Amino acid sequence: MPTLLLLLLVFLPLLAGCDQPGSRPVLNIGFMNCNNEQETLARFRPLTTYLSEQVGVDFRTVPVDTHEFEERFAAGDFALTHTNSLLYVILKENHDLRLLLTESRGNFGPRTAGAIIARKGSGITSLDDLRGKRMVFGPMMAPSGYLAQYDLMLQAGLDPERDLDYYAIPSGSFKHEKVVYGVYFGDYDVAAAPALDLETMTRDGKITADDFEILAQSPLIPYCTFGSAKETDPELVTKVRKALLALTPETTVAIDGEQVKVLKAAWIDGFEDLQDRDYDLVRDMARRTNMPPYQVF
Amino acid sequence: MRFDRFDRIIGLALAVTAIALTALLWRGAGDDARSGRSNPQLEKRLAQQAKSALLQKIYGPVEQLREKGALPEALLKLDEIARQMPGEAHGVMLRGEIQYQLGALNEAITSLSAGVRSEPLYIDAGSPLSRRNLIEEVVRLGMKQVAPQAKSAPENRRLNQALTNLYYLQSRLAGGCE
Repeated sequence: MPTLLLLLLVFLPLLAGCDQPGSRPVLNIGFMNCNNEQETLARFRPLTTYLSEQVGVDFRTVPVDTHEFEERFAAGDFALTHTNSLLYVILKENHDLRLLLTESRGNFGPRTAGAIIARKGSGITSLDDLRGKRMVFGPMMAPSGYLAQYDLMLQAGLDPERDLDYYAIPSGSFKHEKVVYGVYFGDYDVAAAPALDLETMTRDGKITADDFEILAQSPLIPYCTFGSAKETDPELVTKVRKALLALTPETTVAIDGEQVKVLKAAWIDGFEDLQDRDYDLVRDMARRTNMPPYQVF
Repeated sequence: MRFDRFDRIIGLALAVTAIALTALLWRGAGDDARSGRSNPQLEKRLAQQAKSALLQKIYGPVEQLREKGALPEALLKLDEIARQMPGEAHGVMLRGEIQYQLGALNEAITSLSAGVRSEPLYIDAGSPLSRRNLIEEVVRLGMKQVAPQAKSAPENRRLNQALTNLYYLQSRLAGGCE
């Protein structure tokens, strides 16, 4: 009996020092789905785990469909958000989302661009040649897969609603790749392709630079963006920001018994400190194309 | 020991062969010296020319696209070439040049410093590969735009890496060594 008491005296304080399940706050990070939920979870679970370890909060990875994002954010579902730059602008304008950091990836770092492409040898070599052609766009809320190209056309005096034979948006996941393959295999004459997807598909050997003619490319606009809800504790936001900036390509976390590189898993090169005014280009595009948050009926 | 007639003939033949070989070797060495085949300067220039010709062959299509203003296509071509030769210095320098032309300053600084680190000839004004003017321009703009941002955000690892790269290029322009 004295031995048992002694053991209790030794181990009870140790147990009290450990984090008990439910003892830490649980907060959601809403991650906008790029392709599908499965991919979003695989990409961002290591990053969420890393943030939980660094910040001392149990963050949850919540994959969110682009079109549901605003409604769920308004309902208070997310303390932090990871979205494209147009969704950031919408949430900022309508719900006072705070800019945290911008994700960096590829040739243009924290920025990216939208391109209008045609199959090489198709005879389509300039935006003027687009009249009466069949075009395929990426998802409607994609800044570099829809917005930038729609704006490029309007700026060149082309109205996609009237001047094209018709245009379509692919269904299901991997829309950006479908758009590129749509032109590659001749289903469409021209496509709205994100510069980053052209870059990664070329690097992966899925396409070659000689396959396409780039008819126009938009100015560089901010890429995917981390934001924080205005209600989120500023001290916690500062910790998250610091943790994200401290990430290196070598940072790992344990996921399902394996050490996983956080940035590599998330397809991120790092994070950059853009300012809200850097998103003005996106705002201008949204205004010119009558897109949210400035849409007028 | 007695030598018969055959021994003398063999001995004579061996002696003639040895003298002929020595003469040949001596003459060959003299020819080399006269033709400059072992001249290190010439060998260096030959290697440089061969490298330039090879780089021109590999990156010619990129240069052509760049010259006609097709910068996004030129970048894609570089991405394609990088599949075969990742991190090759000339490709990295070209990438930096195009990134700069397209307005991606930080990324251009990263690429140019990586290129110069692996091939210092790009900073040498006398080299046919020289990109000194471009590097000077990028460093000037970088010191104006990137340096103040980096200094005000010491926690920003990538920004401070860009500043380190800027300082590196600046020191190489000033004639500093690795």
